[in-house]
Amino acid sequence: MPTIHATDRTGVTREVEAETGLSLMENLRDKGGMDIAAICGGMASCATCHVHVDVDWMDRLPPAEPDEIELVEFTEAYDEARSRLSCQIRVTEDLDGLRLTLAPEA
Amino acid sequence: MPDAPVFEVDPRAFWSDPYPDLARMRAEAPIARVPQLGGAVLMTRRADIHREEKRIEVFSSRQPEGLMTKLMGENLMRRDGEAHLSERRALFPALSPRTVRETWLPLFRERTAAILDDLAPRGEADLVRDYAMPVSAEALKLITGLTNMAAAEMDRVSQGMIDGCSNYAGDPAIEAHCHDCTASIDRHIAERMPRLSAAPDMSAISVMERAGLGPDRISANTKLIISGGQNEPRDAIAGAAWAVLRHPEVRDAAVAGLLGWDAVFAEYARWISPIGMSPREVAQADTVEGIDFTPGTRVFLMFGSANRDEDAFDAPDRFDPWRDTSAAIPFGAGPHFCAGAAASRALIAEVALPMLFERLKGLRLAGEAPFGGWAFRGPLAVPVAWDA
Repeated sequence: MPTIHATDRTGVTREVEAETGLSLMENLRDKGGMDIAAICGGMASCATCHVHVDVDWMDRLPPAEPDEIELVEFTEAYDEARSRLSCQIRVTEDLDGLRLTLAPEA
Repeated sequence: MPDAPVFEVDPRAFWSDPYPDLARMRAEAPIARVPQLGGAVLMTRRADIHREEKRIEVFSSRQPEGLMTKLMGENLMRRDGEAHLSERRALFPALSPRTVRETWLPLFRERTAAILDDLAPRGEADLVRDYAMPVSAEALKLITGLTNMAAAEMDRVSQGMIDGCSNYAGDPAIEAHCHDCTASIDRHIAERMPRLSAAPDMSAISVMERAGLGPDRISANTKLIISGGQNEPRDAIAGAAWAVLRHPEVRDAAVAGLLGWDAVFAEYARWISPIGMSPREVAQADTVEGIDFTPGTRVFLMFGSANRDEDAFDAPDRFDPWRDTSAAIPFGAGPHFCAGAAASRALIAEVALPMLFERLKGLRLAGEAPFGGWAFRGPLAVPVAWDA
């Protein structure tokens, strides 16, 4: 079971015991109890599950599809080196140890 | 488990102001069948809607016998799963935040400036008819690709389809008028198509054609964009301007740049949601909050009620653009999250509202602004005057 180190918007870090097969967003929200609106339910449509991934981890994630990039790059907290939509990342064992921070709300 | 309890409303009072009934429903019968609204079961609490809208296997958007499908063809909002996703992807390039910023925003500004040039010397106007309507229509002409349609015709066909889709009483005159409106759209598409094929652009019709969608799909989705992209921004522009004019502290802060127009728009869309309802059909039996849902039941997700839910917002009936609106769901809360959300924010918060208050000095209300509607809600007229 991969462990995700997720920091919330107040700076508190939680160790989320993630379930593989689910999206990162679902894990953060449902397993980690984190405050992620994920209004569209994981369709890469609303950008409310935006996270800043530790730069060391960015290359180890599956690459973002064009839809995701177009949405996230126009959010206020966009950071090219760190921004992803957590709904578009499926959790696998390879993500054990992943570090991220919830992006500020748009 | 019991069926949904019955909650009676006076249809005329509900149309004039649905909020008192919706507040009572949230408190007493948050999931209830309303005989006067075609017997649909209304879901009124924010938490229920936010959760259940994502369960498309139960609360399906497919409504083959529904009025929208029958009158406008089966568009992507009336599909679910892969059928919905593939068409949404085909349309996305026309409405993506990047296209909005790089392609549409400069044109929105140009068209809106021209409308204000015409308006400015007059010194008085109805903000709905004379400003919000043409601003919204000019934007929609660009986005759809139907630049051959007059602004007033865009408004007419949008309203005609909306009226047709809510014609639960089956009035033949309303249905005939709706057919006339959809025929007008098809004529305009047929006229524009050869040109868009020869010179492709970022408009919805052009990107859908390039993605390989057939004429029926292009027609149905274009009608959806018009039914969802004209009245709503029109109502939001005129309604938000009215709200600002009624709250001088908001006007002063926004004009001085101390309060963002995006916050004004977000709060208006929460407070008086232009789209107050989205329909679903129960596809498989399920129980929600102790209420049984049986297949075939029509369900109305009441976004306008969710956005006034006391559990999510303090003093929800107050217009307060300084509040946190992140829990609001004016664009929906699931896979059908409004595809035009980025375009509407740009048009309303970056163009229509700031340019209106910048250009028309001394803008003030010059009469009463009656509001109407519950599925779609907005001001019927907003009489204003300014220093010409």
